[in-house]
Amino acid sequence: MTAAHLLQVAAGGLLMGLVYALVAAGLSLIFGLMDVVNFAHGELMMLAMYAVFAIWAINGTDPLLLLPIVAVLLFGIGIAIYHGLIARALSVQFNRGMVQIFVTFGLAIFIRGACQFVWGGDFKSITGHWLAGRTIELGGVFLPLPQMAASAICLAAFAGLLAIGRTEFGRALEATREDRDAVALIGIDRNRIFALGWGLGAGAVGVAGVMLAGFYYVGPNVGASFAVIAYVTVALGGFGSMLGALVAGILIGEVEAFTAAFWEPSLKQVGVFAVYLAVLMLRPRGLFGRL
Amino acid sequence: MPHDPILILDNVSASYRGLRALQGVSMTVAKGEIVAVVGANGAGKSTLLKAISGQVATEGAISFDGKPLAGVPGHMITRAGIGLVPEGRRLFPRLSVEDNLRLGAYARRGDPNRFKPLDLVFTLFPRLAERLAQRAETLSGGEQQMLAIGRALMTQPRLLMLDEPSQGIMPKLVDAILAAVVRIRDLGVTVLLVEQRLVEALEIADRAYVLQTGRVVMHGTAKEIAANEDVRRAYLGM
Repeated sequence: MTAAHLLQVAAGGLLMGLVYALVAAGLSLIFGLMDVVNFAHGELMMLAMYAVFAIWAINGTDPLLLLPIVAVLLFGIGIAIYHGLIARALSVQFNRGMVQIFVTFGLAIFIRGACQFVWGGDFKSITGHWLAGRTIELGGVFLPLPQMAASAICLAAFAGLLAIGRTEFGRALEATREDRDAVALIGIDRNRIFALGWGLGAGAVGVAGVMLAGFYYVGPNVGASFAVIAYVTVALGGFGSMLGALVAGILIGEVEAFTAAFWEPSLKQVGVFAVYLAVLMLRPRGLFGRL
Repeated sequence: MPHDPILILDNVSASYRGLRALQGVSMTVAKGEIVAVVGANGAGKSTLLKAISGQVATEGAISFDGKPLAGVPGHMITRAGIGLVPEGRRLFPRLSVEDNLRLGAYARRGDPNRFKPLDLVFTLFPRLAERLAQRAETLSGGEQQMLAIGRALMTQPRLLMLDEPSQGIMPKLVDAILAAVVRIRDLGVTVLLVEQRLVEALEIADRAYVLQTGRVVMHGTAKEIAANEDVRRAYLGM
């Protein structure tokens, strides 16, 4: 095992970890804002991937060019999900917790089934795009350009979310998260804030999906596998914590990469879940959690 | 009947947590007045303010500035010019004092003068100016009350409603807060004050309503209410 090999593994973990971080950030944002776990989060990412695939398959538009369009599309889908489903689920009188769980769970199954219906169950991949197959070499470490671009864009989107948090709108988000009933006293419509929160969460995971589509297979189960990692990331980072999502995302990426490299590639998620169990036992609120 | 009314309640009933908390309440608040609502615990005072601010469903008619408030959501009632300083203050505990205040003007985005009331808030409560960067949860009870009033003032209300502003704060600060309420009124903001401390409330109020088990049992000028034998016996133990 050479130092170059170690660096290579670490670099791969970092690149994937940044994608995980953005996926988790969207999940964490929605959960932190309104205590709703979006079980369809992975499916939203998958929807973004299929959107890229579908447009690319029709006219060959490069995934990179589709980034803004699909991000905005997912933002709109997030808002529609809030108004169409979540707001209703929040207004039920009985068993609200169960209703919230099953409404997003059901949505996940619906999206998965719909995608399978439209595009079939087999794996698709987007080939021959601008970055496909290109790598750069940095000190003996080979970095594939699609992954490089994905991690850079995800990091930028992450920074964008943090920047939004510092704006006046970000303060309103924070206020709504602290006391959703009291914001009416300052003239804020919490439904609007909640809807925008869903838009941002879905838009974030949409960005991750677009970039992922450049080097990852597209299939009806791809969302579920990423969602599981996102839950672990959020739990590890601490529910509702953005910084936690970033640190935990990178950590998970590294654990996965090193498990695959030194143990067995097919067991890479075992390492991730070992970390998850350790967190649950030793620090249930996560690294940066406030709960 | 006072002239130039800003708030009119006509036969308002409301339930809160399954209990009939208001029954056929009618009252009028005129522009520029301080109107006190007094009564024992559980008389319906807080529910009254919740009803006006759109937090509980009501029967009967409530109108503000001539416009009915039926079906208007809470945040629009705030934007229409009714500010509420609620029971328990309901500040945003992890946000700074400054953020709490500035968020009061959030709904007025686009208005270049929306932060102007900050000057007034700091004149009324200089302590807040010294604690701008502190989290709201680290303030003392009295300071939190000041912040809650300040945040409500940032919405530029024409009617300010206060729910027990003296609750849980040091006696010394109670006077300061009630003095601030008088100054706020003198600046042209109408005040509806719910208070357990009858003597202090009637001292600064122009008129008062006495609530008992959800009904108005008496109303008149603050002097009349303060002089009333029944009120003194029931609420002052005299």
